[in-house]
Amino acid sequence: MEAFFTKAIEVRDLVKIYGGGVKALRGLSLSVEEGSIHAILGPNGAGKTTLIRILTTQLVPTSGSASIFGLDVVKRASEVRKLIGYVPQEVSLWTDLTGYENLLIYAKIYGIPPERRKDIVEEVLSMMELKEASNRLVKTYSGGMFRRLEIACALMAKPRLMILDEPTIGLDPSARKTVWEKILEYKKEYKTTVFFATHYMDEAEKYAGEVSLIVSGNVIETAPPDELRKKAGGDRVYLKLDKSIDGARDLLMKVEGLKIVRESGEEIEMIVNGALTVLPTIILALQSNGLQIKEIRIREATLDDAFIALTGKRIAEEEGNIRELISERKMIRRGA
Amino acid sequence: MMWQRLRELETIIAMAELELRRISHDPIELITRAVQPIFWIAIFGSVMARVRAFPSTGDYITFISPGVILQSSTFIALSYGIMLVFERESGVLKRLLSSPMPRSFIVIGRSLAGGLRASTQYIIVLIAAVAVGARITYDPLNLILGFLILIVASMGFTAMSILIASSLKTRERFMGIIGAITMPLFFASNALYPISVMPEAIQLVAYVNPLTYTVNALRALLVENSYAIGYDVAAIVLFDVISMLAALKLLHRIIE
Repeated sequence: MEAFFTKAIEVRDLVKIYGGGVKALRGLSLSVEEGSIHAILGPNGAGKTTLIRILTTQLVPTSGSASIFGLDVVKRASEVRKLIGYVPQEVSLWTDLTGYENLLIYAKIYGIPPERRKDIVEEVLSMMELKEASNRLVKTYSGGMFRRLEIACALMAKPRLMILDEPTIGLDPSARKTVWEKILEYKKEYKTTVFFATHYMDEAEKYAGEVSLIVSGNVIETAPPDELRKKAGGDRVYLKLDKSIDGARDLLMKVEGLKIVRESGEEIEMIVNGALTVLPTIILALQSNGLQIKEIRIREATLDDAFIALTGKRIAEEEGNIRELISERKMIRRGA
Repeated sequence: MMWQRLRELETIIAMAELELRRISHDPIELITRAVQPIFWIAIFGSVMARVRAFPSTGDYITFISPGVILQSSTFIALSYGIMLVFERESGVLKRLLSSPMPRSFIVIGRSLAGGLRASTQYIIVLIAAVAVGARITYDPLNLILGFLILIVASMGFTAMSILIASSLKTRERFMGIIGAITMPLFFASNALYPISVMPEAIQLVAYVNPLTYTVNALRALLVENSYAIGYDVAAIVLFDVISMLAALKLLHRIIE
């Protein structure tokens, strides 16, 4: 009965204030359905990692509550730990052991019975395509291999909930893609709930069923990516005509849901709701008024546009800047 | 339920296995660690033996051999916490702390791991000591008992190290403190000279110093061929219990 109604994650009014007075979470609430893929997306320092560390029972919140499948993460921490598979943002395996040894030790830590250990280790190794490399020391692995091994490790206990903190941070695009393929493959087979933090918008957009936008320790919006994109107000359309746009302005103003954001000489930039269906009408109208279009560019609204529309801020792109991110994290951890 | 408990105990063994596998991938470190104690015996021991500064000790090289083993193993055990500082900076500790393993097992398991790593010095230093003329018993029972006692004592020192790592959190502070406590721990003990030659204040320190009891036990077993080690073992076990409980109490600090 209980299991039928409980959410995979339920967070209410969560507040975390670190020793140094840093307010990482300010009354954050969210809930995650069992079986879904849920992303938390937000800029560096928004509180994503703090939320994850509370959910994985590493930190105790200052106030508010959080539960995993109905189990309170503070009061029933040891039961919660049996339900989750967690991959932290940083390197989380022993690099001076081989891949196989890491998994074997963790199989023991997770309490997998001796007679099943070997099979499970083999299974996750082949699923993550790491079988050949399994007898090499982990420090010789590439970034993508390392991440796959860490995920393999978290999967061994067949968790009901996977919690991934920046699962693809610092990886090149093809390694990112492989990592996600593997996560989805596993999810499909075991119906696991996946909860992940990212600052890569494209990943949240592509893989998550629902996205929570997090800013300054609060969720400002939770919705499927398509709906979130609509919050941006529409897609960006850029037109270049053969003569001054003066004659076109009145025509364009009549189109419903169209907003001109910039114009100069023959060029005009606007935000159009559902550009792909509205655009043919616009083109037709312009042409029948003797205006020729020399160039059209459409950029569909991204989550970043939605984020800007909702908060006035960008989600920072950290790709070249992981080191800074990590050192900042350290400062927070030290309570500086 | 009983079966469940036993299964959980296996995770402690897994921590020890982790350490042994690590050592097997890089045994050189332990050998380099043994170089300094070998010089202690060969140089300091030979010189002091000629001076005959402590007539009550008998053959001086033989006398200091257990002490020098302890010097080396204690330093390794006390440094073990740096591993946790590294694991704290990476994600290893986060993963461990959110795994189903009880947290007390992290302390016990890692203490055992550190104890094993430290006790490798027993073998290397003993062989070196015999090579330069120390008269050590060949009775296998004594040798094995001595090894086990060293492992148990080193577990206590490792737990102390975990405790320090949890409180200080950075390598710089950690290494500073370890340097500061190793020296008095060694010299305010009976490792290099009998307690009776010390000024009274330092004698007091020596009597609460767990190193003293470990050296006593090893000296009884290896040098005097005696099994009168009951009090020493009791003191070592008490030290283990106290340091592990304290380490467990402060472990949560390491990730906050």
